[in-house]
Amino acid sequence: MLFLSSRRILTFSWQHFWRNIWLSLVTITIIVLTLFSLTTLILVNAIADYAVNSVKDTVDVSLYFDNAISEEAIKTLKQELDKIEELKEVQYITPEEALEQFKETHKDDADIQSALAELDKNPLGGTLVLSAHAIEQYPAVMEKLKELKADSLAEKIDYNDHQKLIERINNFTAKLRTFVLALSLVFILVAILTVFNTIRMGIYIHRTEIGIMRLVGASNWFIRLPFVIEGLLYAVFGCLVFWLVLAIALHFTGDWVNSFLAGINFDIRAYLNKNVLNILGFEFIIVAVINMISAAFAMGKHLKV
Amino acid sequence: MIELRNVSKTYPNGTEAVKRVTVHIKPGEFVSLVGRSGTGKTTLVKMLVAEEKPTEGRIILGGWDITRIRTADIPMLRRQIGVVFQDFKLLPRKTVYENVAFALEVAGYGKKHIKDVVPQILALVGLEPKAKEFPDELSGGQQQRVSIARALAHRPKILIADEPTGNLDSINTREIVDLLLKINSFKTTVMLVTHNREVVNSLRKRVIAMEDGKIAYDEEKGRYVL
Repeated sequence: MLFLSSRRILTFSWQHFWRNIWLSLVTITIIVLTLFSLTTLILVNAIADYAVNSVKDTVDVSLYFDNAISEEAIKTLKQELDKIEELKEVQYITPEEALEQFKETHKDDADIQSALAELDKNPLGGTLVLSAHAIEQYPAVMEKLKELKADSLAEKIDYNDHQKLIERINNFTAKLRTFVLALSLVFILVAILTVFNTIRMGIYIHRTEIGIMRLVGASNWFIRLPFVIEGLLYAVFGCLVFWLVLAIALHFTGDWVNSFLAGINFDIRAYLNKNVLNILGFEFIIVAVINMISAAFAMGKHLKV
Repeated sequence: MIELRNVSKTYPNGTEAVKRVTVHIKPGEFVSLVGRSGTGKTTLVKMLVAEEKPTEGRIILGGWDITRIRTADIPMLRRQIGVVFQDFKLLPRKTVYENVAFALEVAGYGKKHIKDVVPQILALVGLEPKAKEFPDELSGGQQQRVSIARALAHRPKILIADEPTGNLDSINTREIVDLLLKINSFKTTVMLVTHNREVVNSLRKRVIAMEDGKIAYDEEKGRYVL
Protein backbone atom coordinates (compact mmCIF):
# COMPACT_ATOMS: atom_id res chain seq x y z
CA MET A 1 0.00 0.00 0.00
CA LEU A 2 2.89 2.35 0.88
CA PHE A 3 4.66 1.58 -2.42
CA LEU A 4 1.45 2.16 -4.39
CA SER A 5 0.77 5.42 -2.56
CA SER A 6 4.34 6.60 -3.16
CA ARG A 7 4.01 5.83 -6.87
CA ARG A 8 0.70 7.67 -7.07
CA ILE A 9 2.11 10.66 -5.17
CA LEU A 10 5.01 10.81 -7.64
CA THR A 11 2.54 10.59 -10.53
CA PHE A 12 0.47 13.46 -9.10
CA SER A 13 3.66 15.52 -8.57
CA TRP A 14 4.71 14.94 -12.16
CA GLN A 15 1.20 15.85 -13.40
CA HIS A 16 1.30 19.11 -11.39
CA PHE A 17 4.73 19.87 -12.89
CA TRP A 18 3.86 18.94 -16.47
CA ARG A 19 0.35 20.43 -16.69
CA ASN A 20 1.69 23.88 -15.74
CA ILE A 21 4.79 23.57 -17.88
CA TRP A 22 5.18 27.31 -18.56
CA LEU A 23 4.93 28.16 -14.89
CA SER A 24 7.39 25.33 -14.18
CA LEU A 25 9.84 26.72 -16.78
CA VAL A 26 9.69 30.20 -15.24
CA THR A 27 10.33 28.70 -11.79
CA ILE A 28 13.29 26.68 -13.10
CA THR A 29 14.71 29.80 -14.78
CA ILE A 30 14.61 31.71 -11.49
CA ILE A 31 16.30 28.78 -9.74
CA VAL A 32 18.99 28.70 -12.46
CA LEU A 33 19.63 32.43 -11.89
CA THR A 34 19.82 31.84 -8.14
CA LEU A 35 22.33 29.05 -8.73
CA PHE A 36 24.33 31.26 -11.06
CA SER A 37 24.58 33.88 -8.34
CA LEU A 38 25.45 31.28 -5.65
CA THR A 39 28.13 29.73 -7.87
CA THR A 40 29.58 33.18 -8.56
CA LEU A 41 29.78 33.73 -4.80
CA ILE A 42 31.58 30.41 -4.35
CA LEU A 43 34.00 31.22 -7.19
CA VAL A 44 34.73 34.72 -5.88
CA ASN A 45 35.62 33.18 -2.51
CA ALA A 46 37.79 30.53 -4.13
CA ILE A 47 39.61 32.99 -6.40
CA ALA A 48 40.18 35.43 -3.51
CA ASP A 49 41.58 32.69 -1.27
CA TYR A 50 43.75 31.43 -4.10
CA ALA A 51 45.08 34.92 -4.86
CA VAL A 52 45.86 35.70 -1.23
CA ASN A 53 47.56 32.33 -0.74
CA SER A 54 49.61 32.83 -3.90
CA VAL A 55 50.87 36.15 -2.54
CA LYS A 56 51.47 34.66 0.91
CA ASP A 57 53.58 31.91 -0.66
CA THR A 58 55.95 34.51 -2.09
CA VAL A 59 56.60 36.05 1.33
CA ASP A 60 60.04 35.17 2.71
CA VAL A 61 63.10 36.61 4.44
CA SER A 62 66.43 36.58 2.61
CA LEU A 63 69.80 37.00 4.29
CA TYR A 64 72.49 38.07 1.81
CA PHE A 65 76.11 37.51 2.82
CA ASP A 66 79.25 39.17 1.57
CA ASN A 67 81.45 36.77 -0.40
CA ALA A 68 84.09 37.29 2.27
CA ILE A 69 81.91 35.37 4.75
CA SER A 70 82.91 31.73 4.76
CA GLU A 71 80.49 28.96 3.90
CA GLU A 72 81.13 27.39 7.34
CA ALA A 73 80.00 30.58 9.11
CA ILE A 74 76.83 30.68 7.05
CA LYS A 75 76.13 26.98 7.68
CA THR A 76 76.66 27.47 11.41
CA LEU A 77 74.08 30.25 11.34
CA LYS A 78 71.78 27.98 9.30
CA GLN A 79 72.00 25.33 12.02
CA GLU A 80 70.92 27.94 14.59
CA LEU A 81 68.08 29.07 12.32
CA ASP A 82 66.89 25.48 11.79
CA LYS A 83 66.05 25.41 15.51
CA ILE A 84 63.50 28.25 15.18
CA GLU A 85 60.05 26.55 15.37
CA GLU A 86 58.27 29.23 13.35
CA LEU A 87 60.40 28.42 10.30
CA LYS A 88 59.19 25.84 7.83
CA GLU A 89 62.35 25.87 5.75
CA VAL A 90 65.81 27.46 5.71
CA GLN A 91 67.35 27.18 2.27
CA TYR A 92 71.01 27.84 1.62
CA ILE A 93 71.87 29.18 -1.80
CA THR A 94 75.59 28.93 -2.54
CA PRO A 95 77.41 31.86 -4.26
CA GLU A 96 77.55 29.77 -7.44
CA GLU A 97 73.81 29.09 -7.39
CA ALA A 98 73.17 32.77 -6.61
CA LEU A 99 75.25 33.75 -9.65
CA GLU A 100 73.40 31.29 -11.88
CA GLN A 101 70.07 32.65 -10.67
CA PHE A 102 71.25 36.22 -11.21
CA LYS A 103 72.38 35.39 -14.74
CA GLU A 104 69.10 33.69 -15.49
CA THR A 105 67.05 36.61 -14.14
CA HIS A 106 69.01 39.12 -16.23
CA LYS A 107 69.66 36.99 -19.30
CA ASP A 108 68.05 39.60 -21.57
CA ASP A 109 70.11 42.48 -20.15
CA ALA A 110 73.22 42.70 -22.32
CA ASP A 111 74.93 45.29 -20.08
CA ILE A 112 74.72 43.11 -17.01
CA GLN A 113 75.80 40.03 -18.95
CA SER A 114 78.90 41.80 -20.36
CA ALA A 115 79.75 43.27 -16.92
CA LEU A 116 79.58 39.80 -15.38
CA ALA A 117 81.80 38.40 -18.14
CA GLU A 118 84.48 40.92 -17.33
CA LEU A 119 84.65 39.90 -13.67
CA ASP A 120 87.34 37.42 -12.64
CA LYS A 121 85.49 36.01 -9.72
CA ASN A 122 81.98 35.63 -8.44
CA PRO A 123 80.92 38.92 -6.80
CA LEU A 124 77.95 37.32 -5.01
CA GLY A 125 78.02 35.71 -1.62
CA GLY A 126 75.78 32.98 -0.20
CA THR A 127 72.14 33.53 0.67
CA LEU A 128 69.82 32.04 3.26
CA VAL A 129 66.11 32.06 2.33
CA LEU A 130 63.78 31.67 5.31
CA SER A 131 60.14 30.53 4.93
CA ALA A 132 57.80 30.55 7.92
CA HIS A 133 54.80 28.22 8.40
CA ALA A 134 52.38 31.17 8.33
CA ILE A 135 52.63 34.80 7.31
CA GLU A 136 51.76 35.92 10.86
CA GLN A 137 54.97 34.31 12.16
CA TYR A 138 57.41 36.55 10.28
CA PRO A 139 57.56 39.30 12.95
CA ALA A 140 58.56 36.62 15.49
CA VAL A 141 61.18 35.29 13.06
CA MET A 142 62.60 38.81 12.68
CA GLU A 143 62.86 39.07 16.49
CA LYS A 144 64.74 35.76 16.67
CA LEU A 145 67.12 36.97 13.93
CA LYS A 146 67.87 40.02 16.09
CA GLU A 147 68.53 37.78 19.10
CA LEU A 148 70.94 35.69 17.03
CA LYS A 149 72.64 38.91 15.83
CA ALA A 150 72.22 37.70 12.25
CA ASP A 151 72.38 41.28 11.03
CA SER A 152 76.02 41.51 12.10
CA LEU A 153 76.93 38.58 9.86
CA ALA A 154 74.63 39.23 6.92
CA GLU A 155 75.29 42.09 4.58
CA LYS A 156 71.58 42.68 4.03
CA ILE A 157 68.35 41.26 5.41
CA ASP A 158 65.48 41.54 2.93
CA TYR A 159 61.96 41.13 4.28
CA ASN A 160 59.12 41.72 1.87
CA ASP A 161 55.83 40.87 3.58
CA HIS A 162 53.51 42.00 0.71
CA GLN A 163 51.17 43.17 3.48
CA LYS A 164 49.76 46.03 1.43
CA LEU A 165 49.06 43.80 -1.57
CA ILE A 166 47.30 41.23 0.62
CA GLU A 167 45.24 43.99 2.23
CA ARG A 168 44.26 45.33 -1.18
CA ILE A 169 43.20 41.88 -2.40
CA ASN A 170 41.27 41.32 0.82
CA ASN A 171 39.53 44.71 0.61
CA PHE A 172 38.57 44.23 -3.01
CA THR A 173 37.32 40.67 -2.59
CA ALA A 174 35.42 41.60 0.61
CA LYS A 175 33.51 44.26 -1.34
CA LEU A 176 32.92 41.91 -4.27
CA ARG A 177 31.84 39.16 -1.87
CA THR A 178 29.34 41.49 -0.15
CA PHE A 179 27.89 42.53 -3.50
CA VAL A 180 27.52 38.95 -4.76
CA LEU A 181 26.12 37.85 -1.39
CA ALA A 182 23.50 40.62 -1.54
CA LEU A 183 22.68 39.59 -5.11
CA SER A 184 22.39 35.94 -4.03
CA LEU A 185 20.03 36.91 -1.19
CA VAL A 186 17.87 38.86 -3.65
CA PHE A 187 17.76 35.84 -5.98
CA ILE A 188 16.97 33.50 -3.07
CA LEU A 189 14.07 35.78 -2.07
CA VAL A 190 12.82 35.90 -5.67
CA ALA A 191 13.12 32.08 -5.87
CA ILE A 192 11.14 31.66 -2.62
CA LEU A 193 8.38 33.96 -3.92
CA THR A 194 8.31 32.30 -7.34
CA VAL A 195 8.12 28.75 -5.99
CA PHE A 196 5.51 29.91 -3.45
CA ASN A 197 3.44 31.43 -6.23
CA THR A 198 3.82 28.42 -8.55
CA ILE A 199 2.69 26.00 -5.86
CA ARG A 200 -0.15 28.30 -4.80
CA MET A 201 -1.30 28.39 -8.45
CA GLY A 202 -1.01 24.59 -8.56
CA ILE A 203 -3.23 24.31 -5.48
CA TYR A 204 -5.73 26.72 -7.06
CA ILE A 205 -5.76 24.82 -10.37
CA HIS A 206 -6.24 21.49 -8.58
CA ARG A 207 -8.72 22.78 -6.01
CA THR A 208 -11.59 20.57 -7.30
CA GLU A 209 -9.39 17.49 -7.26
CA ILE A 210 -8.13 18.36 -3.77
CA GLY A 211 -11.70 18.88 -2.54
CA ILE A 212 -12.68 15.44 -3.88
CA MET A 213 -9.59 13.86 -2.35
CA ARG A 214 -10.59 15.24 1.03
CA LEU A 215 -14.18 14.13 0.50
CA VAL A 216 -13.23 10.53 -0.24
CA GLY A 217 -10.78 10.25 2.67
CA ALA A 218 -7.31 10.84 1.19
CA SER A 219 -4.84 11.35 4.01
CA ASN A 220 -3.30 14.77 4.59
CA TRP A 221 0.15 13.67 3.51
CA PHE A 222 -1.27 12.12 0.34
CA ILE A 223 -2.77 15.52 -0.57
CA ARG A 224 0.23 17.60 0.54
CA LEU A 225 3.19 15.48 -0.51
CA PRO A 226 2.75 15.95 -4.29
CA PHE A 227 3.23 19.70 -3.78
CA VAL A 228 6.37 19.17 -1.67
CA ILE A 229 7.75 16.79 -4.32
CA GLU A 230 6.81 19.30 -7.01
CA GLY A 231 9.04 21.78 -5.15
CA LEU A 232 11.84 19.18 -5.13
CA LEU A 233 11.38 18.58 -8.87
CA TYR A 234 12.02 22.28 -9.49
CA ALA A 235 15.23 21.98 -7.43
CA VAL A 236 16.38 18.88 -9.37
CA PHE A 237 15.64 20.35 -12.81
CA GLY A 238 17.05 23.75 -11.79
CA CYS A 239 20.36 22.15 -10.73
CA LEU A 240 20.50 19.92 -13.83
CA VAL A 241 19.84 22.80 -16.24
CA PHE A 242 22.28 25.13 -14.48
CA TRP A 243 25.15 22.63 -14.43
CA LEU A 244 24.50 21.63 -18.02
CA VAL A 245 24.58 25.28 -19.13
CA LEU A 246 27.68 25.92 -16.99
CA ALA A 247 29.50 22.88 -18.43
CA ILE A 248 28.70 23.95 -22.02
CA ALA A 249 29.64 27.58 -21.32
CA LEU A 250 32.96 26.60 -19.72
CA HIS A 251 33.73 24.21 -22.56
CA PHE A 252 33.60 27.07 -25.03
CA THR A 253 34.74 30.02 -22.89
CA GLY A 254 36.93 28.39 -20.21
CA ASP A 255 40.21 29.52 -21.81
CA TRP A 256 38.90 33.04 -22.23
CA VAL A 257 37.79 33.16 -18.55
CA ASN A 258 41.11 31.69 -17.43
CA SER A 259 42.97 34.39 -19.38
CA PHE A 260 41.44 36.93 -16.96
CA LEU A 261 42.83 34.95 -14.06
CA ALA A 262 46.23 34.30 -15.62
CA GLY A 263 47.89 36.69 -13.15
CA ILE A 264 47.14 34.36 -10.26
CA ASN A 265 47.24 31.17 -12.33
CA PHE A 266 43.70 30.08 -11.30
CA ASP A 267 42.14 27.43 -13.56
CA ILE A 268 38.36 27.73 -13.23
CA ARG A 269 37.65 24.45 -15.09
CA ALA A 270 40.07 22.47 -12.94
CA TYR A 271 38.59 24.02 -9.78
CA LEU A 272 35.00 23.18 -10.79
CA ASN A 273 35.94 19.68 -11.95
CA LYS A 274 37.61 18.99 -8.61
CA ASN A 275 34.78 20.44 -6.48
CA VAL A 276 31.73 19.66 -8.61
CA LEU A 277 30.19 17.19 -6.16
CA ASN A 278 30.65 19.43 -3.12
CA ILE A 279 29.31 22.54 -4.85
CA LEU A 280 26.43 20.70 -6.56
CA GLY A 281 25.47 18.99 -3.30
CA PHE A 282 25.62 22.26 -1.36
CA GLU A 283 23.59 24.12 -4.00
CA PHE A 284 21.01 21.35 -4.34
CA ILE A 285 20.47 21.32 -0.57
CA ILE A 286 20.07 25.12 -0.50
CA VAL A 287 17.59 25.12 -3.41
CA ALA A 288 15.70 22.07 -2.12
CA VAL A 289 15.31 23.66 1.33
CA ILE A 290 14.17 26.96 -0.25
CA ASN A 291 11.60 25.11 -2.36
CA MET A 292 10.31 22.97 0.48
CA ILE A 293 9.93 26.00 2.76
CA SER A 294 8.05 27.82 -0.02
CA ALA A 295 5.84 24.77 -0.62
CA ALA A 296 5.13 24.48 3.11
CA PHE A 297 4.16 28.17 3.29
CA ALA A 298 1.95 27.90 0.20
CA MET A 299 0.20 24.82 1.59
CA GLY A 300 -0.16 26.28 5.08
CA LYS A 301 -1.86 29.31 3.63
CA HIS A 302 -3.98 27.75 0.91
CA LEU A 303 -4.40 24.06 1.67
CA LYS A 304 -6.37 23.64 4.85
CA VAL A 305 -7.10 19.92 4.99
CA MET B 1 -25.14 4.43 14.61
CA ILE B 2 -25.35 8.25 14.56
CA GLU B 3 -25.77 9.98 17.87
CA LEU B 4 -25.88 13.72 18.46
CA ARG B 5 -26.11 14.80 22.08
CA ASN B 6 -27.02 18.44 22.73
CA VAL B 7 -24.95 19.56 19.75
CA SER B 8 -24.59 23.29 19.14
CA LYS B 9 -22.55 25.20 16.61
CA THR B 10 -21.83 28.90 16.85
CA TYR B 11 -19.59 30.45 14.17
CA PRO B 12 -16.92 33.02 15.11
CA ASN B 13 -19.16 35.83 13.79
CA GLY B 14 -21.76 34.87 16.42
CA THR B 15 -24.21 33.05 14.12
CA GLU B 16 -25.87 30.15 15.96
CA ALA B 17 -26.34 27.61 13.15
CA VAL B 18 -27.28 24.61 15.30
CA LYS B 19 -28.80 24.82 18.78
CA ARG B 20 -28.78 21.92 21.25
CA VAL B 21 -29.72 19.20 18.76
CA THR B 22 -30.17 15.67 20.10
CA VAL B 23 -30.80 12.89 17.58
CA HIS B 24 -30.25 9.14 17.50
CA ILE B 25 -30.27 7.30 14.17
CA LYS B 26 -30.21 3.50 14.26
CA PRO B 27 -28.06 1.34 11.94
CA GLY B 28 -29.77 0.71 8.58
CA GLU B 29 -32.28 3.53 9.01
CA PHE B 30 -33.39 5.85 6.18
CA VAL B 31 -33.80 9.39 7.50
CA SER B 32 -34.82 12.55 5.69
CA LEU B 33 -33.42 15.74 7.21
CA VAL B 34 -35.63 18.56 5.99
CA GLY B 35 -36.02 22.27 6.46
CA ARG B 36 -35.75 25.55 4.62
CA SER B 37 -32.37 26.98 3.56
CA GLY B 38 -30.31 28.34 6.46
CA THR B 39 -31.91 26.17 9.14
CA GLY B 40 -28.65 24.35 10.00
CA LYS B 41 -28.97 21.18 7.88
CA THR B 42 -25.68 21.67 6.01
CA THR B 43 -23.85 22.65 9.23
CA LEU B 44 -25.07 19.37 10.75
CA VAL B 45 -23.71 17.43 7.73
CA LYS B 46 -20.39 19.30 7.96
CA MET B 47 -20.09 18.32 11.62
CA LEU B 48 -20.80 14.67 10.76
CA VAL B 49 -17.90 14.58 8.28
CA ALA B 50 -15.65 16.62 10.62
CA GLU B 51 -15.48 19.62 8.34
CA GLU B 52 -16.73 21.64 11.32
CA LYS B 53 -16.42 20.94 15.01
CA PRO B 54 -19.34 21.44 17.36
CA THR B 55 -19.11 24.28 19.86
CA GLU B 56 -20.97 22.19 22.44
CA GLY B 57 -22.28 18.64 22.79
CA ARG B 58 -21.00 15.33 21.46
CA ILE B 59 -21.20 13.46 18.16
CA ILE B 60 -20.78 9.68 18.17
CA LEU B 61 -20.67 7.59 14.99
CA GLY B 62 -20.80 3.81 15.37
CA GLY B 63 -19.39 4.12 18.90
CA TRP B 64 -16.62 6.51 17.78
CA ASP B 65 -16.72 9.90 19.52
CA ILE B 66 -15.70 12.33 16.77
CA THR B 67 -16.48 15.51 18.74
CA ARG B 68 -12.81 16.42 19.09
CA ILE B 69 -11.42 14.18 16.35
CA ARG B 70 -7.69 14.58 15.56
CA THR B 71 -6.86 15.93 12.10
CA ALA B 72 -4.93 12.74 11.30
CA ASP B 73 -8.05 10.62 11.95
CA ILE B 74 -10.38 12.61 9.67
CA PRO B 75 -9.50 10.67 6.46
CA MET B 76 -10.38 7.42 8.25
CA LEU B 77 -13.75 8.88 9.28
CA ARG B 78 -14.48 10.04 5.73
CA ARG B 79 -13.85 6.55 4.38
CA GLN B 80 -16.63 5.33 6.63
CA ILE B 81 -19.15 7.95 5.57
CA GLY B 82 -20.08 8.37 1.90
CA VAL B 83 -21.22 11.86 0.97
CA VAL B 84 -22.90 13.10 -2.20
CA PHE B 85 -23.74 16.67 -3.09
CA GLN B 86 -26.09 18.56 -5.35
CA ASP B 87 -23.21 19.58 -7.69
CA PHE B 88 -21.87 15.99 -8.10
CA LYS B 89 -18.20 17.06 -7.66
CA LEU B 90 -16.87 14.83 -10.45
CA LEU B 91 -13.51 15.19 -12.20
CA PRO B 92 -14.30 16.18 -15.80
CA ARG B 93 -11.08 14.74 -17.30
CA LYS B 94 -11.65 11.32 -15.80
CA THR B 95 -14.05 8.67 -17.09
CA VAL B 96 -16.88 7.25 -15.00
CA TYR B 97 -14.65 4.29 -14.08
CA GLU B 98 -11.70 6.54 -13.22
CA ASN B 99 -13.85 8.86 -11.08
CA VAL B 100 -14.96 5.94 -8.93
CA ALA B 101 -11.49 4.35 -8.91
CA PHE B 102 -10.00 7.70 -7.79
CA ALA B 103 -11.60 7.31 -4.34
CA LEU B 104 -9.79 3.98 -3.91
CA GLU B 105 -6.50 5.14 -5.46
CA VAL B 106 -6.08 8.06 -3.04
CA ALA B 107 -6.74 5.68 -0.15
CA GLY B 108 -3.85 3.50 -1.33
CA TYR B 109 -5.76 0.46 -2.65
CA GLY B 110 -4.07 -1.80 -5.21
CA LYS B 111 -5.01 -2.16 -8.86
CA LYS B 112 -6.51 -5.61 -8.37
CA HIS B 113 -8.83 -4.47 -5.58
CA ILE B 114 -9.90 -1.48 -7.69
CA LYS B 115 -10.52 -3.72 -10.72
CA ASP B 116 -12.71 -6.00 -8.61
CA VAL B 117 -14.67 -3.34 -6.72
CA VAL B 118 -15.38 -0.59 -9.27
CA PRO B 119 -17.38 -2.74 -11.79
CA GLN B 120 -19.47 -4.10 -8.89
CA ILE B 121 -20.37 -0.60 -7.71
CA LEU B 122 -21.04 0.61 -11.26
CA ALA B 123 -23.37 -2.37 -11.71
CA LEU B 124 -25.15 -1.45 -8.47
CA VAL B 125 -25.86 2.09 -9.69
CA GLY B 126 -26.68 0.85 -13.22
CA LEU B 127 -23.77 2.56 -14.97
CA GLU B 128 -21.62 -0.37 -16.09
CA PRO B 129 -22.20 0.37 -19.80
CA LYS B 130 -21.14 3.98 -19.27
CA ALA B 131 -17.82 3.15 -17.57
CA LYS B 132 -15.67 4.63 -20.32
CA GLU B 133 -17.68 7.83 -20.79
CA PHE B 134 -16.78 11.22 -19.40
CA PRO B 135 -19.09 13.13 -17.00
CA ASP B 136 -20.10 15.73 -19.59
CA GLU B 137 -21.40 12.91 -21.84
CA LEU B 138 -23.90 11.88 -19.14
CA SER B 139 -27.28 13.25 -17.98
CA GLY B 140 -27.57 14.97 -14.58
CA GLY B 141 -29.13 11.83 -13.07
CA GLN B 142 -26.32 9.66 -14.40
CA GLN B 143 -23.69 12.06 -13.07
CA GLN B 144 -25.31 11.91 -9.65
CA ARG B 145 -25.23 8.12 -9.85
CA VAL B 146 -21.48 8.29 -10.55
CA SER B 147 -21.15 10.50 -7.48
CA ILE B 148 -23.11 7.94 -5.42
CA ALA B 149 -20.95 5.12 -6.82
CA ARG B 150 -17.82 6.99 -5.74
CA ALA B 151 -19.31 7.57 -2.27
CA LEU B 152 -19.90 3.81 -2.03
CA ALA B 153 -16.35 2.87 -3.09
CA HIS B 154 -15.19 2.39 0.52
CA ARG B 155 -18.39 0.42 1.33
CA PRO B 156 -19.41 2.96 3.99
CA LYS B 157 -21.95 2.16 6.69
CA ILE B 158 -23.43 5.63 6.37
CA LEU B 159 -24.38 7.51 3.20
CA ILE B 160 -25.22 11.21 3.47
CA ALA B 161 -26.89 12.76 0.44
CA ASP B 162 -26.95 16.55 0.70
CA GLU B 163 -29.63 17.83 -1.73
CA PRO B 164 -28.77 15.09 -4.26
CA THR B 165 -31.78 15.91 -6.44
CA GLY B 166 -31.47 19.69 -6.33
CA ASN B 167 -30.27 19.88 -9.94
CA LEU B 168 -32.42 17.12 -11.38
CA ASP B 169 -35.78 16.87 -13.13
CA SER B 170 -38.56 14.77 -11.62
CA ILE B 171 -37.71 11.56 -13.56
CA ASN B 172 -34.04 11.67 -12.58
CA THR B 173 -35.02 12.64 -9.03
CA ARG B 174 -37.14 9.51 -8.76
CA GLU B 175 -34.28 7.37 -10.08
CA ILE B 176 -31.87 8.77 -7.51
CA VAL B 177 -34.33 8.33 -4.65
CA ASP B 178 -34.96 4.73 -5.77
CA LEU B 179 -31.20 4.15 -5.84
CA LEU B 180 -30.85 5.51 -2.30
CA LEU B 181 -33.65 3.17 -1.17
CA LYS B 182 -31.89 0.27 -2.87
CA ILE B 183 -28.62 1.13 -1.07
CA ASN B 184 -30.57 1.38 2.21
CA SER B 185 -31.99 -2.09 1.57
CA PHE B 186 -28.40 -3.41 1.91
CA LYS B 187 -28.44 -2.13 5.54
CA THR B 188 -26.54 1.10 4.78
CA THR B 189 -27.77 3.98 6.90
CA VAL B 190 -28.96 6.74 4.58
CA MET B 191 -29.43 10.38 5.55
CA LEU B 192 -31.19 12.35 2.82
CA VAL B 193 -30.87 16.10 3.33
CA THR B 194 -33.47 17.85 1.19
CA HIS B 195 -36.18 20.42 0.96
CA ASN B 196 -38.04 18.52 -1.77
CA ARG B 197 -41.45 18.08 -0.14
CA GLU B 198 -42.74 15.66 -2.80
CA VAL B 199 -39.80 13.27 -2.40
CA VAL B 200 -39.99 13.22 1.40
CA ASN B 201 -43.74 12.68 1.48
CA SER B 202 -43.53 9.80 -1.00
CA LEU B 203 -40.93 7.95 1.05
CA ARG B 204 -42.95 7.29 4.23
CA LYS B 205 -39.74 7.04 6.21
CA ARG B 206 -38.43 8.87 9.28
CA VAL B 207 -38.36 12.66 8.91
CA ILE B 208 -36.34 15.05 11.06
CA ALA B 209 -37.31 18.66 10.40
CA MET B 210 -35.10 21.59 11.38
CA GLU B 211 -36.12 25.16 11.95
CA ASP B 212 -33.89 27.98 13.20
CA GLY B 213 -31.10 25.54 14.12
CA LYS B 214 -33.32 23.34 16.28
CA ILE B 215 -35.26 20.11 15.73
CA ALA B 216 -38.82 21.19 14.90
CA TYR B 217 -40.12 17.61 14.83
CA ASP B 218 -38.82 14.06 14.48
CA GLU B 219 -41.37 11.50 13.25
CA GLU B 220 -41.25 7.87 12.14
CA LYS B 221 -43.00 7.61 8.74
CA GLY B 222 -43.34 11.37 8.81
CA ARG B 223 -44.17 14.05 6.28
CA TYR B 224 -42.65 17.38 5.36
CA VAL B 225 -45.19 19.82 6.74
CA LEU B 226 -43.20 23.01 7.56
